[in-house]
Amino acid sequence: MTSNNNPYQPMPMRIARMSMETDDQSLMSFELEFERQEDQDRFFSLYRPGQFCQLSVFGKGEAPFGVASAAWEGDFVRFTVNKVGTLTRTMHAMRPGDPIGMRGPLGNGFPLEAWEGMNLVVVGGGCAFTTLYALVNHVLQPDVRAKYGELMMIYGARTPGLFMYKADIASWYDRRDIKFCQAIDVHQEGWCHYTGYVPDVTKEIGPSEENAVAIVCGPPIMNRFTFPVLSDLGFPPERIYLSLEKRMKCGIGKCGRCNIGHEYICKDGPVFTLAQLQQLPNDL
Amino acid sequence: MYKTLSRTDLPGLIKEWQARFTVYAPGRQGDMTAFQPVDDPAQVDLSAVNTRFPPKALFLPQSEVMLQIEADRLQPVEDPDAPRLILGMRPCDARALQLLDTVFMTEEDQDPYWASKRERTTIVALGCDDPCETCFCNAVGSGPFDGRGADVLLTVVDSIDSIDSTQGTYVAEVRTEKGEALLAQLSDAAAEQIEVAQAVQASAVESMQAPFDATGIKDKLYSMFESDFWQHIQQSCLGCGVCTFLCPTCFCFDIVDEAQRGQRVRNWDTCMFRTYSLEASGHNPRPTNVERTRQRIMHKYAYWIELIDQIGCTGCGRCVRYCPVSLDIRHIVRSAQAWEEA
Repeated sequence: MTSNNNPYQPMPMRIARMSMETDDQSLMSFELEFERQEDQDRFFSLYRPGQFCQLSVFGKGEAPFGVASAAWEGDFVRFTVNKVGTLTRTMHAMRPGDPIGMRGPLGNGFPLEAWEGMNLVVVGGGCAFTTLYALVNHVLQPDVRAKYGELMMIYGARTPGLFMYKADIASWYDRRDIKFCQAIDVHQEGWCHYTGYVPDVTKEIGPSEENAVAIVCGPPIMNRFTFPVLSDLGFPPERIYLSLEKRMKCGIGKCGRCNIGHEYICKDGPVFTLAQLQQLPNDL
Repeated sequence: MYKTLSRTDLPGLIKEWQARFTVYAPGRQGDMTAFQPVDDPAQVDLSAVNTRFPPKALFLPQSEVMLQIEADRLQPVEDPDAPRLILGMRPCDARALQLLDTVFMTEEDQDPYWASKRERTTIVALGCDDPCETCFCNAVGSGPFDGRGADVLLTVVDSIDSIDSTQGTYVAEVRTEKGEALLAQLSDAAAEQIEVAQAVQASAVESMQAPFDATGIKDKLYSMFESDFWQHIQQSCLGCGVCTFLCPTCFCFDIVDEAQRGQRVRNWDTCMFRTYSLEASGHNPRPTNVERTRQRIMHKYAYWIELIDQIGCTGCGRCVRYCPVSLDIRHIVRSAQAWEEA
């Protein structure tokens, strides 16, 4: 993964910017910049939305995070990190300028070429929205946007304060080339968008399956109840995509733990079709 | 190509090899045998059928420093180039290395630590003319004289009935260029010797019972994924993980930082532990020994077959011999084959 071909050696990165995304102080975005030009060139020659990286702070460990930025946004890589464990608590306490290790991009990413000419229905919830944000940002580029048909984004969070990238996604309401639907679980005063769980809201909106693919990424419970809704709307399992995650160590299909059946989520995924997943044992 | 090697000449040959290689061979260590660097050729104990620890640790050490902090950066720890020779590896263990090559020696993201150790090692395997009770290589697509993974495969001839281990001759099957270079100076085996070697091999194969029939095991296990079978079969399992740590084909590892030493290290890990698959959210896809036993068995007898069309178990029998509650993978596979849903 680095210039000397040792896939376990992290690239040296620096935190350029940090910003708290949610009002519960749990999700922090990090924009990382490369210390070495060759790493940056290599990264952007390989990166596609849907991929992830292994981030590490020496002494605190290493963990996988989905990339939350599109390549055109600049010479940085964005991650949004939930404060849950030793590494992520350490990261939340870091400052711009601090060093951080990164390996990647890892995994297969979204099959952007296969989706050309089709309508995209993107359904996300909670902190899993990161790679979907990268995907939508990629598709919204002027020279990319024409390759795809209609773009619909359904994004749910428990409360308004738990949406990420608030300023940016608010601007999506002003665009004609994306139909954006936000939903919160329980109604709050002043909320003027959808209310309800993502599967229910998806059913209410009823996106057409005609020439469309659905991309679903959320907590397992949201995924489980969204698939039947999409199936009822006529989406065949081959046109429903999802991104999986499991505990990982190596990120390159060696250390063994993220398998689901014979596939490794790190190497063969994290993006699978529902049809592929249905062929695998239920080991999630 | 077949060469001949007298047992009495072996110590001298080991001495010669020692000038070029670090030679590893089975030797006594307390109450067990283990692969260890050979100091004195007299310590070599080729009568050991299966060392307690498989020689995989010479390629995937139990704990291995991958990266080290140098000038504030994690730098790879370079593998020394020193050539090694492993003498007396049993076919099940040599074949396990070949299976593990499909994990580590991949085109993309090759594991540099594994690859360099594989490349600098020559393997002289010793076929098993007298397999143990717990051996079942014959049931998993292999056999006591399977040469896959070995550069040279030795077969004992002329001394089948002799208890004097200084007597006798080996017929050495040269299987690779590395093996050819190693044994270039030895004379070719006579046709009669090769015939005797083949007879020895055939009689060893014949002496083995087949503890199960693996035909169709992959599909059978897939069909049983949600079955009560796993609850039933794992009841005595303590989750100690010894079956995986002593397994020549188990390769799972953890990566941890040893902060005070300034090192990022990989350590053997096991799917039999709760923390192996525990996620940061608290969710664990394999929360009990039921799912973990299923993972261990299905990895070897379904997922490997799906991936490379070979069973990921070489039948060495260590998990059978060293399980503290006598769980027997042969019994598990046999029971799975016979299982009918209630």
